[in-house]
Amino acid sequence: MITEIAWKNVWRNKPRSLIVIAAITVGVFAGVFSIAIMNSAIVQRIDASVNEELAHIQVNNKDFRNSSDIKSIIPDYNQVVSEMMSAPGMKEVSGRIIIRGIASTSARSTGVEISGINVEKERRMLKLADKIIPGTGTFFESETRFNRAYIGEKLAKELNIIRYNLDEEALSRLREKGVPEKIISGLEPIYGERFTSGRKLQKAVENLLGEKDYKKFINPVMEAAWSYREGSRIILTFVDINNIQTGAAFRISGIFRTNNDMFEETSVFVPEEELRKLTGLKDNDYHRVIGLLDENSFTEEATSEIREALSSYEVLNWKEIQPDLAMFADMMQQIYGLFMAIILAALAFGIVNTMLMSVLERTKEIGMLAAIGMNRRRIFIMIMLESIFLSIVGGLSGMAVGGTVIALTAKKGINLMQYSEGFEAMGYSAHLFPAIDTNFFIITTILIVLTGILSSMYPARKALQLNPVEAIRTE
Amino acid sequence: MKVIEIKDVNKIYNSTEIKVHAVNGVSLDFDQGEFAAIVGPSGSGKTTLLNLLGGLDLPTSGKILIDGEDLSKLKSSQLIDFRLRNIGFVFQSYNLIPVLTAEENVGFIMALQKIDRKEREERTWSLLKAVGLGDRLNSRPAKLSGGQQQRVAVARALASRPKFVLADEPTANLDSKAAKTLLEIMEKLNREEKITFIFSTHDPRVVKMARRVITLEDGKVISDEVKKQSNDPENG
Amino acid sequence: MAWRNIWRNRRRTLITAASVFFAVFFALIMRSVQLGSYDRMFKNVIESYSGYIQVQQKDYFDEPVLDNSFELDQGLLDLIASDPNVKAVVPRLESFALAAAGSSTQGVVVMGIDPQGEKEVSEVHNRLVRFKLTDEAIKALMNETLPERTKKLLKIFKNEAYTGTGRLMLDMGLSEKDTSDVLPVFRKYASFSNYYLEEEDSMSVIIGDGLSDYLGLSIGDTIVLIGQGYHGVSAAGKYTIRGIAKIPSPDIDNIVVYMPVNTARKLYGAHGLSTSAVIMMNNTDEKSLVATAGRLAEVIPESLVLRSWKELNALMVNQMDADNKSGMIMIGILYLVIAFGVFGTVLMMLAERRREFAVLISIGMQKHKLAGVVAFELLLIGLMGVMAGVIASLPVVIYGNINPLRFKGQMASMWEDYGFEPIMPTLMPDAYYLWQTVVVLIILSIAIFFSIRKIYKLNVIQSIKA
Repeated sequence: MITEIAWKNVWRNKPRSLIVIAAITVGVFAGVFSIAIMNSAIVQRIDASVNEELAHIQVNNKDFRNSSDIKSIIPDYNQVVSEMMSAPGMKEVSGRIIIRGIASTSARSTGVEISGINVEKERRMLKLADKIIPGTGTFFESETRFNRAYIGEKLAKELNIIRYNLDEEALSRLREKGVPEKIISGLEPIYGERFTSGRKLQKAVENLLGEKDYKKFINPVMEAAWSYREGSRIILTFVDINNIQTGAAFRISGIFRTNNDMFEETSVFVPEEELRKLTGLKDNDYHRVIGLLDENSFTEEATSEIREALSSYEVLNWKEIQPDLAMFADMMQQIYGLFMAIILAALAFGIVNTMLMSVLERTKEIGMLAAIGMNRRRIFIMIMLESIFLSIVGGLSGMAVGGTVIALTAKKGINLMQYSEGFEAMGYSAHLFPAIDTNFFIITTILIVLTGILSSMYPARKALQLNPVEAIRTE
Repeated sequence: MKVIEIKDVNKIYNSTEIKVHAVNGVSLDFDQGEFAAIVGPSGSGKTTLLNLLGGLDLPTSGKILIDGEDLSKLKSSQLIDFRLRNIGFVFQSYNLIPVLTAEENVGFIMALQKIDRKEREERTWSLLKAVGLGDRLNSRPAKLSGGQQQRVAVARALASRPKFVLADEPTANLDSKAAKTLLEIMEKLNREEKITFIFSTHDPRVVKMARRVITLEDGKVISDEVKKQSNDPENG
Repeated sequence: MAWRNIWRNRRRTLITAASVFFAVFFALIMRSVQLGSYDRMFKNVIESYSGYIQVQQKDYFDEPVLDNSFELDQGLLDLIASDPNVKAVVPRLESFALAAAGSSTQGVVVMGIDPQGEKEVSEVHNRLVRFKLTDEAIKALMNETLPERTKKLLKIFKNEAYTGTGRLMLDMGLSEKDTSDVLPVFRKYASFSNYYLEEEDSMSVIIGDGLSDYLGLSIGDTIVLIGQGYHGVSAAGKYTIRGIAKIPSPDIDNIVVYMPVNTARKLYGAHGLSTSAVIMMNNTDEKSLVATAGRLAEVIPESLVLRSWKELNALMVNQMDADNKSGMIMIGILYLVIAFGVFGTVLMMLAERRREFAVLISIGMQKHKLAGVVAFELLLIGLMGVMAGVIASLPVVIYGNINPLRFKGQMASMWEDYGFEPIMPTLMPDAYYLWQTVVVLIILSIAIFFSIRKIYKLNVIQSIKA
């Protein structure tokens, strides 16, 4: 009964209630959507981390990570494989040779980590093969007599393998993209010129187009002018098992692009046989075995089982290798709670004001209710319910709007191109697909109800102070 | 047993340095089925006495017994519950909950007492019919005239089968036709159902209809007349 | 009259002012911490690495290779140093090499520096490790009488290196009073004898603590460097490790090798060349920086250019910018929500006082006068909120500036992994304080505009009837 009355009381003064509800909607929506964006950055990073770079579980020789010594190999590869495969949720495992070295071209050189991999297995396991830039080759599909390497775009740029060239193809690509003729012809002075770095191209374009057009069109221009001569070669230098410096020329089998600059810049993948030949490592000599699980949720269980079984090895899961990522993921809910609480606190002022006004308008009515026999507890609950209803209506509509916008943007995503440099340097994608799970909605609802309750305290107290005698007093 | 016994009741207000002796040594008794009016000029203590009678305020000294129950012995929450079950109120205005319909307003009292739905419905219908508003069950107060609202108030006051109904200037805001209708209904209920009505009023129409008139002045009862026969309500 | 009016409905006035206060207070604290952190981060990187301005060969920025180095003679250095705002200028030769020790190899950045000059720039000499919690040190310390808490922390901070007692005490959970009895114990077992570079030490280097851990090298050990030199010559050399430094940023700490610049030049076959000249300034504000850069541009040769710290740390600038924008959005949301609250209150107030306004107008008060009074009322309420917010924030901001919040334990190492110092200093009141007031004023003006409109549209007769 009181619930009914409270609900109807909320709608007594429609404009007033609607303003408060609108405010709550805006606030809740903003909170939900912002968190969806932050959350998606983390979720995408974890996904990339696991499926492109690390896999779920790593087993190393105990000393390997500290020393990077080529001789710290896994003593019993077969045992490791069988133990890993018997762990809950394990889908597939594969061994890797890992060596540190220098990658160089005639122009540049830089330090890299070279991973000798089992091509077939890793093609199945990790999505790295799918990250290849179309037109740059394949993931070791073509056999050649040369050594082959699969490298990241950042590395390729670092070594000046990627060029920027506005040739005929590039120009037609520009037209396809819908870049206006005026811009295209404005770039005439640099047609066919080979730029060895993106920055040089950017400089030239800026000089030709002026700041405004430059900002607008530089991205499509760079994309179109991007060129790579298939089969370019790099030299990999490293140390073999006898501590002798050695190396060889490697043909680039393909170039991959991920959102993780650091990973792209330092990772080189080579078929394990080729690396064995050059280093002198024997068959079944591996430094690391990686394992992919069916689902992330198996991580803890699988890790502890494998750790027990392989106690003389170092067993790590992705959460331990990148603890900050896992920490962020866990903290997400707390961060969200805090953010939402602050927004709701701001809203609470409005709710309190509204409820107060509503109570003070009803002095006589509330006095009457007390007179005819509505006890204090019921009056208190009535006011509290009105406040909660206000909050919930606003909150639910805020979540509904939030959910809708999230669903709408989830397909195409939000591309924060401006910040892609900064994001990708830390390993995050700047193209975010907002995502949120039901936990967040639950947290929101709880906070909203709490806000409603807390906001009602003061007005309800005021209502209780009203004297039933006032109701009798004649005008 | 008397329904109401007021024994030597005083109410003194001590606010702002001025001592106000609003009710001064009043002793009154009421029987079941009375139709009484308390009259007196403003400041005579009418309102205060009614507040005391309704348990909305407690006397400074003296006792008020309702059906033998001493009001001053009740704690504030018990008092509220007592009022709910035993006293009906009809105020001059602001009687009804604006967001509820006539039916819901009447049913509200019974809902507070956790009376089940079916019984609530039946009693509501019969009460609203009795006050002549059987067809306006679903109207909100805003859609009812002043007189109609007061009639719903009466129905509501009777919903909990109270020991008596306190009516404070119920006709003050009504035109003569509406006042006449309202008083006729109240008188009928009093006659047929033996429900005790106690009015506090200036309205001569009410005084005329009352069978007992108690006059107050300066907080004291200066006259307490019981009329020999019931008056003809037609006489102006 | 306006003043008295707002106190008539005291509660409403206070609640509205309180909501403004809340938003302003919170916004100020948040911005203060954000801006303070950026400021600190940039200062760290400028002072430990990039300097405020660098002189480089004009192609070096786009292609940071040895082949794009330039001749930096004493004459040019003196010329730059003679500028009134230049505090110090030092030459550097930076390049890449592969470091080998035993069978471990690691890519490193070789920084050829002027050991004396660099004391005023990146202050490497101040970053020499003084304490290190090696395994032996910890074993020995565990046998001594130390607070329980400290012993637990010893395990967590295994292998940690410290350049001074401050951070060591913080990490070990020690306070001022422990200085006399506990610190000497640490000095006894965890001390690290460290040496700086002298110009004459042609074959000595200082390496980062992270690098020393990775390669398993300590003072006195040999490190081999191999790489590609100027115009493609082969570069190779064997050096003795003379000192170990702890650089706050792990990105640098894990890969840096400092050596005297002439040694670097010999290694890479780049005689007389430098990849950059790093300049520190006295006055570091934007205006002075631009002015200084202008003056220096006049005196340096045609083939050289000046790069500001913003360009040199473009990535960090980009990241800070993103973070900054997100912070502004959050505060924007907060103000939006408060704005609704203010508007709602104003609407209610207007509705409530309709009758009162009608009466005033009918007895002769001009509409514009009334509007003025109401506008003033709103202004007062808003300003009260702002002032309260500002005043309440000042002690927090000032304290946070002098005694900033320092992260401990896991949080701290997480920040450091990302390359940030685990500290949250605030920024002293600045332009951003003004901005909050401006935003509130904007919100108020919209509310005021609305109220004025309503007053002018008021129908006197209808309103009196109500």
